[in-house]
Amino acid sequence: MERGHAEALIPMVTRVMAEAGLRYAQLDRIAVTVGPGAFTGLRIGLAAARGLAIAAGIPVSGVTTLEALAHGADAGLRSGRPVLAVIDAKRADVYAQLFDPGLRPLSQPQSLLPDELPATLADPGRPMLLVGDGASRAAPALIAAGLELEVASESQTPDPAVVAMLAAGRTDADQRSAVPLYLRPPQATRPAHGGRLRP
Amino acid sequence: MPNVTTSVEDADLRVLGIETSCDETAAAVVAGDRRILAERLLSQLAEHQPYGGIVPEIAARAHLDHLDRLIEEAMAEAGLGFADLHGVAATGGPGLIGGLMVGMTMAKAIAAVHGLPLLAVNHLEGHALSARLTDGTAFPYLLLLVSGGHCQLVIVEAVGRYRRLGTTIDDAIGECFDKAAKMLGLGYPGGPAVERAAADGDAARFALPRPLKGRPGCDFSFSGLKTAVRHTIEALPPGRLSHQDVADLCASFQAAVADSLEDRCGNAIKIFRDRHPEANSLVVAGGVAANGYLRTRLSRLAKASGLDLVAPPQALCTDNAAMIAWAGIERLRAGLTDELDFAAKPRWPLGAAELES
Repeated sequence: MERGHAEALIPMVTRVMAEAGLRYAQLDRIAVTVGPGAFTGLRIGLAAARGLAIAAGIPVSGVTTLEALAHGADAGLRSGRPVLAVIDAKRADVYAQLFDPGLRPLSQPQSLLPDELPATLADPGRPMLLVGDGASRAAPALIAAGLELEVASESQTPDPAVVAMLAAGRTDADQRSAVPLYLRPPQATRPAHGGRLRP
Repeated sequence: MPNVTTSVEDADLRVLGIETSCDETAAAVVAGDRRILAERLLSQLAEHQPYGGIVPEIAARAHLDHLDRLIEEAMAEAGLGFADLHGVAATGGPGLIGGLMVGMTMAKAIAAVHGLPLLAVNHLEGHALSARLTDGTAFPYLLLLVSGGHCQLVIVEAVGRYRRLGTTIDDAIGECFDKAAKMLGLGYPGGPAVERAAADGDAARFALPRPLKGRPGCDFSFSGLKTAVRHTIEALPPGRLSHQDVADLCASFQAAVADSLEDRCGNAIKIFRDRHPEANSLVVAGGVAANGYLRTRLSRLAKASGLDLVAPPQALCTDNAAMIAWAGIERLRAGLTDELDFAAKPRWPLGAAELES
């Protein structure tokens, strides 16, 4: 969904709760993706999660979009391979993170140009599985650098069920863990001399 | 959609208000008997100051960083749990969309958990109704709304019934104060800085234009005045501006703004008195209403026209969440609730335009 998160999200949450037959007070925790991703979308998800959490008096846990993608990849498809999760940042760059076959992170979430990927990521030494909607943008540069890979075309976006399962395993759940992971500072330029006409 | 609670006595209504439309993150709890039970407000001023204005992405980030904590603090101070509320109100527009979405989404989440009515409040309606929170002003009244983003003359007939007599055809008045202050090196925000500097100034030294003065209608225009300030600065002898130059220019600028406001308000008062001979209040709201000089001038005008000037205290003139909670209470009483799929609106005019050229 490109637009409309802000309108769709809470009605969707109420429908999901109704389908699960649960009251909010019966939940133990709220899980939410913290990024990296589109800034406005992240904020809508986080505002909703934090609002639900304070209203229900329960903790909220943040899960990165990249780990949710890596954990969402089908285990059979992974078959012992390292996983590179890549998200299209809708600009020149992509957001990427490499995981070992046990899905332990081998790098931090980073904002990179596709051409920077081969040099930045440690060569895992075996064929990788690429997941995420940025996989097709990342693949050519990696192949050109001689890396072996396969693109998992099924795992394009984070699955909320995976997000919930990852958070269920956490012990550090509190509000402070649900902070946005923007990876980029806000775009803003300071005016020369603060805009004054006679510096 | 949850039903509007009708069994509760009006005075016992409790509404949480959330304001995130610009650069203040705020939460407040207000009661139906006009008591502000709790208020929390965080200004992002320091974060935007180096840029000489508000940076939308910085504002949106800051709203998300602080809003949940401010809401929890306000609820704790009010001594209420969320289940004790009768509604959740949030600014739904107009304003910076990134911030509006944060506030509106959090309000929806709280409303969803406790099955409370959601009240999507027009920020301008918040300002328009604030005199009823602070002074219990009766309908109808004439409203002059002057802020960093808006400049309007509106007849407030009832909740949801607003007749706009005029608006700015270019810049908002507060924006004009900010630009003038920036050019003079007085920093951001410009309003308080210009007012302070003008205190030692000679308002007669520089002949600045009085936009639209003497013309029919109630519209405003400030871009020409802004340009005139620029040209005046450029025409001064080279080098750093003297303290007196800055003071005189600020005083001349403020006098020009006041003359223009007075003229436009005068036209609006005539229309208002014609339509509502029994009414007796001129309400001024919005951040610019904090300017003492302009208040004095408007108070004189109101008196000469047989009206009382109602100006909410400064903290309730600038952006705040109490006015949003109050507008929420007024809307709740009128049965004007919103659905959880409400879409925040960056542009959202208050009422229908009349008389505009």
